Amino acid sequence: MFQEHRSWLQLQIVLLICRFAPTCTEVARILSLGMDKQLSLIMRMKLRIHYLMCSFCERYAKQLKYMRTVAREFPEKIGEISDAKLPTEAKERLKEALLK
Amino acid sequence: MSFQSGATAGGASKPEVQPEAAATAASDPSRWVDEDGDVLYRYALERVRKPDIAQDLVQETFLAAVRTIDRFRGGSTVRSWLCGILKHKICDYYRKLGRETSFTDLEFLNDECAEKFVPEGYWVHMNGPKEWKPEADEVMHRDEFWKTMRDCLGKLPERVAAVFMMREMDELESKEICSMLSISDSNLWVMLHRARMALRECLAMNWFENPEVRH
Repeated sequence: MFQEHRSWLQLQIVLLICRFAPTCTEVARILSLGMDKQLSLIMRMKLRIHYLMCSFCERYAKQLKYMRTVAREFPEKIGEISDAKLPTEAKERLKEALLK
Repeated sequence: MSFQSGATAGGASKPEVQPEAAATAASDPSRWVDEDGDVLYRYALERVRKPDIAQDLVQETFLAAVRTIDRFRGGSTVRSWLCGILKHKICDYYRKLGRETSFTDLEFLNDECAEKFVPEGYWVHMNGPKEWKPEADEVMHRDEFWKTMRDCLGKLPERVAAVFMMREMDELESKEICSMLSISDSNLWVMLHRARMALRECLAMNWFENPEVRH
C-alpha cells in the first residue's frame, strides 16, 4: 500500500495515520456492524480517515448499502424469475382445505 | 387501513385496486390458490429451501388468510396481503427451528476471504473491490441479474442465508432476530458480516466483474 515515490516525511505521516486507523479487515467488520447499528462519532471519523487512503473500503461500504437495496427488491422479483410451481395435487388439497 | 380516496388530490396516478375486484377475489379463497399460489410458493421455497416445508407454509398462509378475511379491506392487493402473512409464517418457522436446534453457524467463511487481504490486514490490490457498474436502477430490470442474486443467496449455508434475509429483506432489527432465533448478538453479527462478504464476492464474480456479462 505504500508507494515508492513518497518522501520519508510523507511515509512517517502515513505510518502515523495507520497506527490510529483500523486495517481493511477491521474496517470491513465495522462497516457490517454499521449496517445494523449506529456507529459512534469516533468510529465514523476513523472510517473517513481510512477512506482517504483506501478506496477499496469506500467501495465496499457502497456495495453493502447497494446489496441492501437489492435484497429488499428480491421478494418482488423472485415470483417473476423462478419457475417453481406448487404441484397440482397440493393445490387441490389446499382448495379443499379452504372450503372447510 | 381503509381504502384511500382523494388523499392524493391532483397527485400521482397511482394505480388503485378496484374495490369490487378486490372484494370478488377476497370472497373466493380457492381463486387465491390459482392466482397467487405459485408466487407465494416460489418465495417460500427461496426462503426455506425445502419444497415440503414451503408447501406447508403456503397452506398455513392461506388458512390464516381465510380466518382473518374480515381484516382484509382491499387497501392493498390480495397478493401483497397474502405475502405479508407468509412472511410471518416464515418467521414462525424459524422461531420454532431456533428453539429446537442451535441456529448459530460460525463455521462458514471462517477466514473471511483471507486471500483478499495481505497478512497485515489490507486489501490485496488485485483483489480489492472494484467499481460496480451499471448502477442500481438499471440492474433492477434484468432477469439475469436476479437469477445471479438467487444463485448467490442459494450458495450461502441455510442458517446464514436465513439471518441475512431476515435482516435485509424482512428488515427486522438485529435484536428481534436474536431473540427470535435464540442466538447471541455477537454471533448474529459474525454471521451477517460473513454473509455480506460472501454475497458481495459472489455478485462481483458472477455479475459485476464477470466479463461474460453484457453491462
